[in-house]
Amino acid sequence: MQNFRNIRLADIEPGDSFNIFFGYNAQGKTNLLESIYLLATLKSFRHARNRELINWDSSQARISGVLERDGVVRDIELALCGEGRKVRLDGKSLHRLSDFFGTLNMVVFSPDELTMVRGMPDARRRYLDRAVFSSDPGYLLVHHEYAKILKHRNALLRSGEDGQLETWTERFALAAVELVHRRLAFLEGIREGVQAFYREISGSDAEVRLSYRTPRLEQAGMASGDVGNVIKALQQSAMEERRRGMTLLGPHRDDIEFLLNGHPLKLTGSQGEQRSFVLALKMAEIAHIRRRFGIAPILLLDDISSELDEHRNRNFMEFLSTHSMQVFITTTDLANIRLASLAGCRKFRLEGGQILQ
Amino acid sequence: MLHFSSSFGRLLLELKKLPGVGEKTALRLAFHLLKSPANVRALAESLLEVVSRVRFCSTCFCITEDDPCAICTGDRDDATLCVVEEPQDVLAIERSQAFRGRYHVLQGALSPLSGITPSQLRIDELMRRLEQGTVGEVVIATNFSVEGEATALYLTRLIKPLGIRVTRLAHGIPIGSDLEYVDAATVQRAVLGRSEL
Repeated sequence: MQNFRNIRLADIEPGDSFNIFFGYNAQGKTNLLESIYLLATLKSFRHARNRELINWDSSQARISGVLERDGVVRDIELALCGEGRKVRLDGKSLHRLSDFFGTLNMVVFSPDELTMVRGMPDARRRYLDRAVFSSDPGYLLVHHEYAKILKHRNALLRSGEDGQLETWTERFALAAVELVHRRLAFLEGIREGVQAFYREISGSDAEVRLSYRTPRLEQAGMASGDVGNVIKALQQSAMEERRRGMTLLGPHRDDIEFLLNGHPLKLTGSQGEQRSFVLALKMAEIAHIRRRFGIAPILLLDDISSELDEHRNRNFMEFLSTHSMQVFITTTDLANIRLASLAGCRKFRLEGGQILQ
Repeated sequence: MLHFSSSFGRLLLELKKLPGVGEKTALRLAFHLLKSPANVRALAESLLEVVSRVRFCSTCFCITEDDPCAICTGDRDDATLCVVEEPQDVLAIERSQAFRGRYHVLQGALSPLSGITPSQLRIDELMRRLEQGTVGEVVIATNFSVEGEATALYLTRLIKPLGIRVTRLAHGIPIGSDLEYVDAATVQRAVLGRSEL
């Protein structure tokens, strides 16, 4: 990679199992993970814009990578310039992000996610969107359309114009139902996994469940895809929506609730229980992608070891090593990585944006 | 070196107003024009001629030199009317030779974000045409964008109560393309919208 954040020029040859980036804080470890994620998805998992991604005194950044799978080698190249992100696959430009999808599946696991159980709903929605996106090729388009319809509808509510509101409400309801349907399908896909992995990690027989919350639309049959009722619910809140100039219900306001033995984990769970739940969730997500695509995703672990106790840490690392997947881990201290053996790992030390192998 | 208040500078500024033309392209075009004075005269004349002669048809709102336009006065099927967003969409459908009815150009699509309301489109004019009772089917050929789809829905709500059949262009896998090269989202929609043979 070249001129990416604080990394001037770096070249690494990772191994096919564990790859560890270690070094002090602010040396560029997470930047490396971010570059890998960006190469696979064209998105930054830190929601950064090009301005932040391109080194401050350069006009463009480049990331390229070689992807090898079942003996097939593909070259991916990404150029960041101005606001543009151009990707070339085997030397040929791609026009749509969706053309690219399926080339590389990535799962990120960062400390933000460990704390998402207690955090604000938007952190959980971001997690959910990212997870659904990596297992459902059509989700990005649906999400994009929904966001656009929402913007139009909000503009309409602010303008006070009535003529086309019914039309946009119907379009909105259709898009909302579709989006929720795909989110629910994903949650159903990981349901059993979450339960099984939680029991494995915690050593308890607790019942865990993820519950999708769609405020004010629960009775309206949002989950069952009843567009007519969703439209009715929207019409009922029309007065308030006009007054506040925005759409008050829909998937952009939904949430997922983590339940332990039927109780909200957010309120009653210990920090350990909350973390075990998120770990189980990530494991289930990985297993789900593996089932769907027949190949495990690449996992990016951003310094979560320091946030987990020894038992959970070891358990998670064991899960990863039995799943034979490529993992990139950042840590400030190699001693945090509780692998049975560090022998098969590749280790890269980072200092001031440089890689010292 | 020429100053930007010079005629050359003004040409650059005018060229840059065109869609898809930036600084470099404007410079290239301007230097190219300087080299061929004869072509410049022809270009200038045709530009002036276009603005003085081309206008919108008062029936279908497509571009034309004679009002009403050739399609509106031609021997076409009066019972089907195709509604599109822009005049260039009429050209696209005409090229296909698949449609023998008449057209109606909305001159845009609904877009609250850009402040486009139904009254800014040629919808009232469309409804007046439909009230004459000759049209039995309206083919909605607005774009498959968020705005185009909303416009299609808006029109459907207006037209259906008149007892007129409303249809929408089909969409999916492009003809002649290999399925393997079509993006996943398009294939997904095509599978969901599959039809009986």
